[in-house]
Amino acid sequence: MSRQVKDNILNGITYLCAFLGVLFLGSILVYVLTNGLKLINWDLIKNDYWSQNYLVAVTDNEPKEFTCDSCNGYFSTKWGVSFTDEVTSHKENVITIEYIAPGSPFENLTSLTAGDMYGTTIPVDEGYMIEKLDYIDSQGNAAIGGKILKQDAKALQESLDDASEITSIYIQSPGEGIRGSLIATLYLILISLVISLPIGIASAIYLNEYADKSKMNRLIRQGIETLTGVPSIVYGLMGVSVLFPVTTVFGATGTSILLGGLTMAIILLPTIIRSVEEALIVVPQSLRDASLSLGATKSQTIFKVVLPCCMNGILTGVLLSIGRVIGESAALIYTMGTFISDNPVVNGPATSLSLMIWSFMSAEQPNFELACAISIIILAVVLVLNIIVKIVGKKLSKNFV
Amino acid sequence: MINASKEKKNKIIDNIFKFFFLAMAILSSSFIVILVLFIFMKGISPFLPGYEFGQVDIISFLFGTTYRQDQGIYGVGFIVINTIISAFASLLLSFPISVLCALFIVKIAPKKIGEIMKSVVELLASVPSIVYGVFASGVIVIFVKWLASIFGVTTAGGSSLLAVIILLAIMIFPTITSMSITAIQAVDKDLEHASLALGATKTQTNFKVVLTSAKSGIFAGAILGIGRAFGEATAVSMVAGNKLFGPTFDLFDITRTLTSTMLAGLKETSGLDYDIRFSVGIVLLFVIFFSNWLLNLLKDRIGKNS
Repeated sequence: MSRQVKDNILNGITYLCAFLGVLFLGSILVYVLTNGLKLINWDLIKNDYWSQNYLVAVTDNEPKEFTCDSCNGYFSTKWGVSFTDEVTSHKENVITIEYIAPGSPFENLTSLTAGDMYGTTIPVDEGYMIEKLDYIDSQGNAAIGGKILKQDAKALQESLDDASEITSIYIQSPGEGIRGSLIATLYLILISLVISLPIGIASAIYLNEYADKSKMNRLIRQGIETLTGVPSIVYGLMGVSVLFPVTTVFGATGTSILLGGLTMAIILLPTIIRSVEEALIVVPQSLRDASLSLGATKSQTIFKVVLPCCMNGILTGVLLSIGRVIGESAALIYTMGTFISDNPVVNGPATSLSLMIWSFMSAEQPNFELACAISIIILAVVLVLNIIVKIVGKKLSKNFV
Repeated sequence: MINASKEKKNKIIDNIFKFFFLAMAILSSSFIVILVLFIFMKGISPFLPGYEFGQVDIISFLFGTTYRQDQGIYGVGFIVINTIISAFASLLLSFPISVLCALFIVKIAPKKIGEIMKSVVELLASVPSIVYGVFASGVIVIFVKWLASIFGVTTAGGSSLLAVIILLAIMIFPTITSMSITAIQAVDKDLEHASLALGATKTQTNFKVVLTSAKSGIFAGAILGIGRAFGEATAVSMVAGNKLFGPTFDLFDITRTLTSTMLAGLKETSGLDYDIRFSVGIVLLFVIFFSNWLLNLLKDRIGKNS
């Protein structure tokens, strides 16, 4: 075989390997986008995860005449509400409310459930699902309709137009939203950064501004670098055994956002220390010397001259940390639990976006569409953060050239 | 007089800050000690006499070939073997692809394509493991099922040792590639020029001179990659299948790794079944430590030969 042919084959193999890399990324993106993109809308972000059931009555129990020009579904002209057929991500056929006309009796529904809720107004909106409809038909007989009778939207609309009076409606809120997990993720980011930033920045300052090459300082650096190699699931174990007693002071009884945040703070330390140190190294020694020779003390120099120069490095650390917190799952399974909460509190269990995926992917019937939709959100945030880090990094290297 | 007292005050403030910075640095680096200490204390407690949920025999724990939470049988011997098999197999699969991809990016590709490929690798590195998990249980599993049907084998819905290996290979690809890129970039230009001047072609130089000179850095990438493969938890758990006994050598059979064991059925557990996860954690730390030590020895030996 000639050298030329041999070289071409070898080069061809490297092209193939590079193509494989593109293929990995491409197939991940195509998979999550094709499966999750249709769920990405405002409702996903706004809604609770758990759907609520309500038994409600109409306050204005009088059929009128309504019109709807832009309804695609089946519009009941007597009651002013339009229905469509939909399939949930659990492959279940449901009848959802598409539109409620202004002045419709459906605008004002009150709860029939006994207890505290009785008589309160239930804010029913588009997207709510009709399970069952009890009504008096035009002949004056009691009748029922809705999903439990295997009716579709068209049949339900015909039943409703036949009704002279509505007895009760069994209604279900849409659910499958990520509002609670989104709030929990924000709490988590906030807690972990508030704890990790001061410790990280102070450590980086010590390592770069004060530390000589003594044995102790080498040991300190070694300790921090070793943290990087520890798998995140081991941090979860550490959180449970070391940090849990700390959170009990704040009223936590088990897994909590606070415990997750404290654990994340330790995971983030090496990242923050490294980004701040990289920025500190770039600050020219002449700036420090100038400040010191003007009579400023070392700590004054650090706070007034050195730190303002490495704001970019701190920002990089913060952005990388946010990306890490959003993507982290293993450590948080131990420390935050896997129960999806719609109203997260700091000292109670909740799920971040990643944990939410884990929570319903490890259940009996994994919900791939919702998992992909949340993955899209996570990937988008991580991508934007990475782009900002790159821009900030370019500025950083320009600062002192 | 005033100046002197002010100077004194400044000096005290200065010292306070110095000690504050030092304290924070010591705190940061002491977390690793605290981590190891506490996990050790909690992890060995089930093997000590007087353990509240019944003492566990350490020999049968370390060398056992059955792990059944429902029956209270905890043996991690086969899980250690499974973990080592899946991690090294994924390294074997990923290593050549990663190194050649790095060579392509630095030496072979036109500059523009090289830049784009670098961004692709960086993006792959920043994909969180839970997203890899979703991808694995939606795509890799289907691929394995299809592959199994060709061989006429049935799988547990595609969850298998092979699925774990492919998943890990993709996950460590960006780690090894980016380390290799750094190593290849650092190769002395004079070496290349010497090789070219002796009549070797550009490709021969790339493969025989550049790669061999960069092997120490490339090997460091492999060590980092296998560390990630050992510690990966959520994504692996989603496709491992958690076999109750083992070890698993059949590519299409379900398997169980140390990390998937630590996560399995965590929702509804307490007592011994919870505490034993700390013991599994210690075993995981030991496996990572020993493989790192062994590979570093190997790296030094390879480094000396050149």
